[in-house]
Amino acid sequence: MIRRRRGPASRRGGGPLAGEGRWAAAFLAPTILGLALLSAGPILATLAISLTKWDLLTAPKLVGLDNYGALLTDDRFLKALRNTFFYTVVSVPVGLAIALGLAIALNTRLRGIAFIRTAYFLPVVTSTIAVALVWQWIYSADSGLLNQVLGLFGIPPQKWLSDPTLAMPSIIAMSIWQGLGVNIIIFLAGLQAIPSDLLDAASVDGAGSWARLRHVTLPLLTPAVFFTGVLSLIGSFQVFDQIFVLVKPRPTEATITVVYFIYENGFKFFKMGYASAASWILFLIVALFTAVYFRSQNRWVHYQ
Amino acid sequence: MITDRIGSGGQWRRLGAVLGGAAIVVAACGGSTAPPSTSTAPPSVPAATAGQSAAASAAAPSDAGYTGPEATITYSIWGDPQELKNQQAIVDAFHVTNPKITVKVTVSDWEPYWDKLQTSIAGGDAPDVFAMDGPLFPDYQGRDVLLDLKPFIDREGYDLGQLADQAVADFTTPGGQFGLPRDLNVVALYYNKKMFDTAGIPYPDDTWDWAKLTDVAKKLTLKGSDGKTRQWGFYTETTDMENDWSELVWQNGGDIISADHKTSLVGSDQAAGGVQFLQDLIWKHKVMPDAAITDALGDAFEQGQAAMEANGSWLVATHLAAGLDFGIAPLPTGPAGRATSINPTGAVVYKGTKNPDAAWAFVKYLASPAAQTKLMELKASLPANKAVLAGPFATSFDGAKVLADAIAYAHLKPSFKGFNDWTTALQTELDANVFTEPKKTAKQALTDVLPKLDEILASQ
Repeated sequence: MIRRRRGPASRRGGGPLAGEGRWAAAFLAPTILGLALLSAGPILATLAISLTKWDLLTAPKLVGLDNYGALLTDDRFLKALRNTFFYTVVSVPVGLAIALGLAIALNTRLRGIAFIRTAYFLPVVTSTIAVALVWQWIYSADSGLLNQVLGLFGIPPQKWLSDPTLAMPSIIAMSIWQGLGVNIIIFLAGLQAIPSDLLDAASVDGAGSWARLRHVTLPLLTPAVFFTGVLSLIGSFQVFDQIFVLVKPRPTEATITVVYFIYENGFKFFKMGYASAASWILFLIVALFTAVYFRSQNRWVHYQ
Repeated sequence: MITDRIGSGGQWRRLGAVLGGAAIVVAACGGSTAPPSTSTAPPSVPAATAGQSAAASAAAPSDAGYTGPEATITYSIWGDPQELKNQQAIVDAFHVTNPKITVKVTVSDWEPYWDKLQTSIAGGDAPDVFAMDGPLFPDYQGRDVLLDLKPFIDREGYDLGQLADQAVADFTTPGGQFGLPRDLNVVALYYNKKMFDTAGIPYPDDTWDWAKLTDVAKKLTLKGSDGKTRQWGFYTETTDMENDWSELVWQNGGDIISADHKTSLVGSDQAAGGVQFLQDLIWKHKVMPDAAITDALGDAFEQGQAAMEANGSWLVATHLAAGLDFGIAPLPTGPAGRATSINPTGAVVYKGTKNPDAAWAFVKYLASPAAQTKLMELKASLPANKAVLAGPFATSFDGAKVLADAIAYAHLKPSFKGFNDWTTALQTELDANVFTEPKKTAKQALTDVLPKLDEILASQ
């Protein structure tokens, strides 16, 4: 009689056992239910709301695509879009490049390296409100740290947050600083997962440290770059709290972002339908960018 | 009150200060919009008339007229923990005279207060009574979510004349009365006595006009050896019309918006002249810190770095706490005479409240001399009750009478549907092009933004 050996080996090639499927479903259920009830429902509701004129307090009126049409000619919305694009286009690549450089620098066996790594991660676990309050002081036009330091070199004080050309770059700098830690951690994990035999083999073949970085380390790190890129991209399009706290008493045309525009219209101007339409335009833009980004991965992301 | 209270430190403090009197009861959801039943309370006597002492009126019948069933109502206010403590004291005193009514107070910061209020009304679960900022009243009343108190007032013969007239008017519509004022604020001129004494300049008084203000502000603006200004002659906020460019517009014979709220009037030469005066104080005479400096410094007067400040009565407690030796004078007169701004906070009742009689009893109590005297002790805002204003309040601190007297020449802070939308468009233009940097004259900026403002009014 042939007895099938039971064990992990016998399962290879087949699908999961029926029991495993149930367990998988059980483990997935909280997330799926949460998404369905708390995310998918409201998201679909905003689609319906975006077709109405609704002040939240009286009955909504169906207006078809009017909100979308009005948004495309709303100067404030277009400026918010422009500012958000600028924020994303600058903060994502610059943030990733700095994080990558720091991760490579931190990927060494130095005394106290764990402390330094922790220091880079601290801003991530600090609330944006607290971070923004500190940066408000750094950027202060009157007696801010930044102006004092620049003053030592004879550079006149700048109005970092109220000058229209400096305000958004100042906000971007703070955001990059705050977000570095997450990307560094992911890059460090990626770096430490690179097998040392590949690097050793490259050395034996005569590759110098730059060549090893360029031809072994970076290609093997592309999945991590791709992953952090997606997160940064989506997060950047939704920038809100930095603006809410840093720019007082309200964002100017140089600093308003799409999510702030949505908040302002929905909760201050009694235009929930208009705000919902704006959030769908943002959603479509983010979806489009993310899709293009995903499609691009065949060309540059190397999975081992 | 202001549109955007997330402004400078001063605005945060002010936010807290304004909370001081809000009496809002939030009721659990429900659809009761029935008029008050006639079988409940007997008509009560108006609590106080001018001259009557607050203590005596505390026991007046109108404070204890509730004879309905036991009820619990909710009351939402914006403010800080200190405000909550003070409002809780008023609520506790109310419970003593009205043991059948329990009031639960909830407090939020300014911004989340409105977010929560809107969503709770949308969900049919709004507070029974809540604090209402004068300028935002039409946005709520116009959407039919507030209870008309007129049937209660008529039933009891409640005397609205015991409350400051403009403050009552802010919550009046042609058909009804949708709230009672809980407290109010006016804008006046604070001055630092020490700085005036040091310079040997007499304190500001009611003879001052714009020219005198400019002249003295120049004398009191002092520069350090490094050429940086170390003391400013004058300070005010530019980010909200209430403190204080709307006053300058009125003092110059201009106005903000037409009576029917359909036309913006800020484009006139008189209105622009008022705004221009403020721009000149910052950029021409350089006697007042610009917005970037204020962002960093907060209230220069409170920091002891400005000799005068045009700002609201809500700052009295803050300035006292800062240890300043200050006096209060009326705002200087402009080419068209004397004017200031008055802005009441009201207590309004949610239309869906299940306990309209209990809510009315509480709203009435908040405006009573007993509650108003307690409120007055906070120095957070002026009482809305005339007897308290003219009596105990006027002598409660140095300068209180100046504030109380200002009501007589005060213009109501504009209050209309779309207020937030309209002021955001207007302030964005003024902040960027007139105050933060003098890129445009006031006239040019106001002319540029006018079409957008009227478009917003037309869409309401």
